[in-house]
Amino acid sequence: MDLSWIVSGIALLVLIAWYVSYGAARLDRLHSRVEGALSVLDAQLVRRAEATLELANCGALDAASALILASAASDSLEADTTDQTSREAIESDLTQALEVALGEDALAHLRADETVGAPVLQRVAAANQRVQLARRFLNDAVTDVHRVRRKPGVRLLRLAGHAELPQTFEIDDELPMLGRGD
Amino acid sequence: MRIGIVSPYSFDVPGGVQLHVRDLAEHFISQGHFVSVLAPADDDTPLPDYVVNAGHAVPVRYNGSVARLSFGPLTAARVGRWVESGRFDVVHIHEPVAPSVSVLALWAVDGPIVATFHSSNLRSRAMQAAYPLLRPSLEKISARIAVSEDARRTVTTHLGGDAVVIPNGVFVERFASAKRRPEWEGTVERPTIAFLGRMEEPRKGMPVLSAALPHILREIPGVRILIAGPGDPDSVRQKMTTEAAAACEFLGPVSDEDKARLLASVDVYVAPNTGGESFGIILIEAMSARATVLASDLPAFTRVLHGGDAGELFQNEDPVDLARAVVALLRDPVRREQLAVAGRERANAFDWSVVAEDVMAVYETVVLGRSAVHTSSEPNSRWARLLRSGRNSGGT
Repeated sequence: MDLSWIVSGIALLVLIAWYVSYGAARLDRLHSRVEGALSVLDAQLVRRAEATLELANCGALDAASALILASAASDSLEADTTDQTSREAIESDLTQALEVALGEDALAHLRADETVGAPVLQRVAAANQRVQLARRFLNDAVTDVHRVRRKPGVRLLRLAGHAELPQTFEIDDELPMLGRGD
Repeated sequence: MRIGIVSPYSFDVPGGVQLHVRDLAEHFISQGHFVSVLAPADDDTPLPDYVVNAGHAVPVRYNGSVARLSFGPLTAARVGRWVESGRFDVVHIHEPVAPSVSVLALWAVDGPIVATFHSSNLRSRAMQAAYPLLRPSLEKISARIAVSEDARRTVTTHLGGDAVVIPNGVFVERFASAKRRPEWEGTVERPTIAFLGRMEEPRKGMPVLSAALPHILREIPGVRILIAGPGDPDSVRQKMTTEAAAACEFLGPVSDEDKARLLASVDVYVAPNTGGESFGIILIEAMSARATVLASDLPAFTRVLHGGDAGELFQNEDPVDLARAVVALLRDPVRREQLAVAGRERANAFDWSVVAEDVMAVYETVVLGRSAVHTSSEPNSRWARLLRSGRNSGGT
């Protein structure tokens, strides 16, 4: 009788210990996935801003459009990376600047210029596509973290420790006129 | 880049996922990347040299059709070895919830994982039952790709989160350069229709075509139906009227080359599939070969055919409508030519050169975020963590 109590007590302790270690490992992995995705997004946003600057300076756009693009791109490059809310606004502005500057005529003009315009436009399109990918992968990772951290066991045992709760990155990154493939 | 690709389905039998994996691998190899594909196969199946055999495959009824899957401790060990020796920058797992090599690879890999979802009909009950088991390993996936909007919807409803839609690719040129074979070409008196796929699988739509044949024969008695694909012709003939059975010619399983030539030769290619198609790669192959396509109006098919601009649609599971559409097309060569030209143009959007570039963008995005993949050392680290956490809780 006593022995079986002890045995089940030990079994319970082992089970709890396993749950704790497993949950912690799982959360740890998720947090590092978020961190990785965030650093990728950061790199891709910088790349997009650089490509936009290149577009602004390529000489194929009118001065006003070039100025709008250059200003939005340098805002993005100088953005405070620790303040997510303001960065989201700045990046959405850059998307909008691209949308405004790349009207039908400007696009036709750029595409016709095979030495400078078309390759630069291609780089902007590729950079924007990668921003979309990076942002989607980050948001997926963040959603996973939120779901796991909502679990009662995880909350009760404070398995997340002091790790900050990551937030999804919400910006407008749709540039349909650069559309690829379909 | 060192790329590992995992196919859950056996290479013994051709199928959409296997072909996708093969084409993707060959495209990246031609680009100078290192690619290793892990897939189940029988020991005596000849495999391309970039494929590693994950073990013997067993036919299992899963997700509404019979799939050849591989599992068990032996396979798991092989998967582990493949992951360890591959030193991949990224591992790309297809159908990560298929109970085969894919799930095993998902467990074994600890590093950048890209997953592609092909199916549009995950069984939600099975998924829910196995959820607690699958969930943690699904969390290891850094990037999810869906091959179609339907597959993406499946991902969002059943797994949460989102997926990037990158469609299947086709080597358009391989099909476009296919030469016609005179014996498969139709004449005014004896036009030809082609059906491709496993004829005994109801979802491929053979019953619908069988039911439509008497109606078609009444209008065009000379029509020839060319049926290519694995299966027993007798079992199909039994379910047909004698006249209909007489109009059918069974070609058996055909080589890739003959498939392309068949599509290029016939007057109309019919895809009467009734469901379970999340993409319809065969339609794109047919369009590449300049075939006139007639397909059921499944959402996936409608999308591939651009709402009917690049091929004719008929009402799904309606033999009478199928017969009407076949007869109308066979009597209108101008319309057929018009659709064939539009289809060939449409196919370009799905060429591997376009599609693989998008997949590579996903790889690069994921790789950037993490260092090289190595085998999961989970058992060890879990023990280490267990001891550590045990000591910690003892201390407090």
